[in-house]
Amino acid sequence: MKKNGSLLKDAKEVARGWRWTHRPLVPRSVELPDTEPNDFPTAWARTSVGRAARAALQAYALKPLIDYEVKPRVEGLDVLDGLRAPVIFIANHSSHLDAPLVLTSLPPAWRERTATGAAADYFFDVWWRAAATALVFNAFPVERSGGKGRATNLAGVMIREGWNLLVFPEGTRSKDGWVRDFRMGAARLAVDHDISVVPVALRGTYQAMPRGAAWPAKGRKPVTVRFGRALYPRTGEAAADLNQRMRAGLALTLSEDRTTWWDAIRNGHEDEASGPQVARWRRVWEASTPMPVARRAFPQR
Amino acid sequence: MARPGFVLEVDERTPPLLFHYGEGFRLEKLPLGSRVVYPSEPLPGIRDVDALIEHALEHPENCEPLSALLKPGMKLTIAFDDISLPLPQMKTPDIRGRVMEHVLEKAARAGVDDVKIIAALSLHRRMTPAELKRAVGERVYRSFYPESLYNHDAEDKANLTFIGETEQGEEVEINKRAAESDLIVYVNINLVAMDGGHKSVPVGLASYRSVRHHHNVHTMMHSQSYMDPPSSALHQSTVRMGKLLAEHVKIFTIETTLNNDAFGGAAGFLQKREWEWSVRDQASFLATKRFTDRAPAHVKRKVFGKMYAPYGVTGVHAGETGAVHEKTLANVHRQQLVEVNGQADVLIAGLPYVGPYNVNSIMNPILVVCEGLGYFFNMYKGKPLVRPGGVMIMFHPVANEFHQIHHPSYVDFFEEVLVETTDPSAIESKYEQQFATDPWYIHLYRNSYAYHGVHPFYMWYWAAHAMDYLGDVIFVGGDRKTVSRLGFRTATTLGDALDMAAETVGTSPRVTAMKCPPLLLSDVR
Repeated sequence: MKKNGSLLKDAKEVARGWRWTHRPLVPRSVELPDTEPNDFPTAWARTSVGRAARAALQAYALKPLIDYEVKPRVEGLDVLDGLRAPVIFIANHSSHLDAPLVLTSLPPAWRERTATGAAADYFFDVWWRAAATALVFNAFPVERSGGKGRATNLAGVMIREGWNLLVFPEGTRSKDGWVRDFRMGAARLAVDHDISVVPVALRGTYQAMPRGAAWPAKGRKPVTVRFGRALYPRTGEAAADLNQRMRAGLALTLSEDRTTWWDAIRNGHEDEASGPQVARWRRVWEASTPMPVARRAFPQR
Repeated sequence: MARPGFVLEVDERTPPLLFHYGEGFRLEKLPLGSRVVYPSEPLPGIRDVDALIEHALEHPENCEPLSALLKPGMKLTIAFDDISLPLPQMKTPDIRGRVMEHVLEKAARAGVDDVKIIAALSLHRRMTPAELKRAVGERVYRSFYPESLYNHDAEDKANLTFIGETEQGEEVEINKRAAESDLIVYVNINLVAMDGGHKSVPVGLASYRSVRHHHNVHTMMHSQSYMDPPSSALHQSTVRMGKLLAEHVKIFTIETTLNNDAFGGAAGFLQKREWEWSVRDQASFLATKRFTDRAPAHVKRKVFGKMYAPYGVTGVHAGETGAVHEKTLANVHRQQLVEVNGQADVLIAGLPYVGPYNVNSIMNPILVVCEGLGYFFNMYKGKPLVRPGGVMIMFHPVANEFHQIHHPSYVDFFEEVLVETTDPSAIESKYEQQFATDPWYIHLYRNSYAYHGVHPFYMWYWAAHAMDYLGDVIFVGGDRKTVSRLGFRTATTLGDALDMAAETVGTSPRVTAMKCPPLLLSDVR
């Protein structure tokens, strides 16, 4: 009989049932209550004190931690030379590693002026998570469920104040490692404020820390961060058209990282980003193929 | 705003679900795809209860205001529901006491001197002075106890009055003082749809001679369910009796309804939906589980007995019994009704530590059967949650333990009757009279704090419909020998129980669990 179970056994059962090391889940059949958009204030994280604290945290905690857990390779930073800030960095999204990787890959001068769009319902649900996200990533809340333009309003204000934005236009982490359709928010911002968009291709993060993982996999998986050629909104260009070009630009950058720049533009491998149209397991299988470890003639470390 | 009750479909995201297990608790993982019926959250309690009571007394249903009924020199009897309600007991001030104070205030102003207050306990055990004091409040207790505040005695032949017979030959015999009063004011707590209405006076103040006409196997088999009065032969019988009684004595009924706020403070997790448990709730559960696993039974009972519910009052209605009860039922339904589509093959329920007949006492095996197959099974409107021939699985230790003072006839029922047969009809015809008229049981009922000798039979009849309807009954974690005596089966785990149920309902049954308490009434479509 279960009657006299030990405290340890009960605690284990509760820990497993309520996912102590993970975010708690809600059964699908349960209707979520209509929640008001989260108005957690983030302006404090962009004050001089907040910036100084973040610079220290990113340089002396976040970057060493990323370097310890994965093996990052950063390419294409030269595209930032001569680029006029602010810009919008757009990246493919399949892992919690993505934002810290992009941020720590940026040169300090760019990093210090970059804010990250983070899902309001996920990162701003409780005060401590919201505060930590705002401080470390200079994050601002993005309402994923049609936030009545609130996120783009705040983002617009930040662009006017000269902040670069890092956004993930897919809106959520990919479930199979391939790039999903883009939402319109980032393109609309770029068109409205006439600023350039820099595609950032991330490879290997799905293998290193996919959805559901609480920590990067053991063994310092290789990951690459490749900055692609900046895209400028054309005169009179509609946001939807720019959005198409943004997606193509990101696909090209991903392809370039997988092959070479020459092969990528010659073969026009834009569609590879969304993966093969096959059974889900085969997409996951393909996406989770281990990345080859780049061999360098002159190792940097 | 209180969220209504609903039906959860268990998926891989669902945390383990909490089930009552007598004086303990279990976390259970239900099979994926199982449905779980959750009760509504507590409706907001009415803030100014005194104003509500006052309004009900002065603007009654189908009747003159109470103040117009009170005259100097009249005989006024106030009867009230006994210790079996509400469950768990409510925090003081008890709503019965609050209502009584208003009634007495008016009686005093009207110059009524002859007032008696009677605990309408029918064949239940007498209430102790402390229990009476808790129910009626210190002020009423001090003014009336013991001469004018006392327990009804269904075996005091000199103090019973035979009123007559209904058109169906049901004898109506009630407390003499009440029958000879100019006015009976009945103060009730309507916790579930079964309570109240004409079940108050004609049952609460009646004798065995009267009660036996509806507390029998035939009536119970035709009460489907007795939690749904229009479909209940039990209620039809009490209505007939009530109407006959109303021709002889004026009855002013006051009915009150409570919300679902059964567990407060650290026990609040018991009425929260599991996926919404905070860290504090999880810690409270672990601490409670530790306590219930380790503490001796009598200590647990003491602690649980002191856990008073912070109920809010959702309604007070007064006046003519039938009209009042309609409003009361609407209030009960507003709080407890949950729509459920379709019946299941297997019904799962965790039985809690308290039932109507073990307040400050022990839930013995017969009361466990009554709680599970009587009350829980019957918490439906329309049709049962489980299909005919289905299986009911319950969590309860079913310990072979009896309260020697409160339940003496239960011991003999368990030891002498159930060894012979568990068939309600056979038990009724062969043994009921013997137990009901046994002088020793009558003596204990009248002078000690024992339930009437016939009471265990009623508990068995209460479960008769479920016994007939179900294909199998399994107690998870129950004492094997005791459960076997009751005529049912035991399993160590829910998984084992479902395997056993497969013999009756196949290997992929539709499973529905009910999360109760707090109370819910399934409206099965």
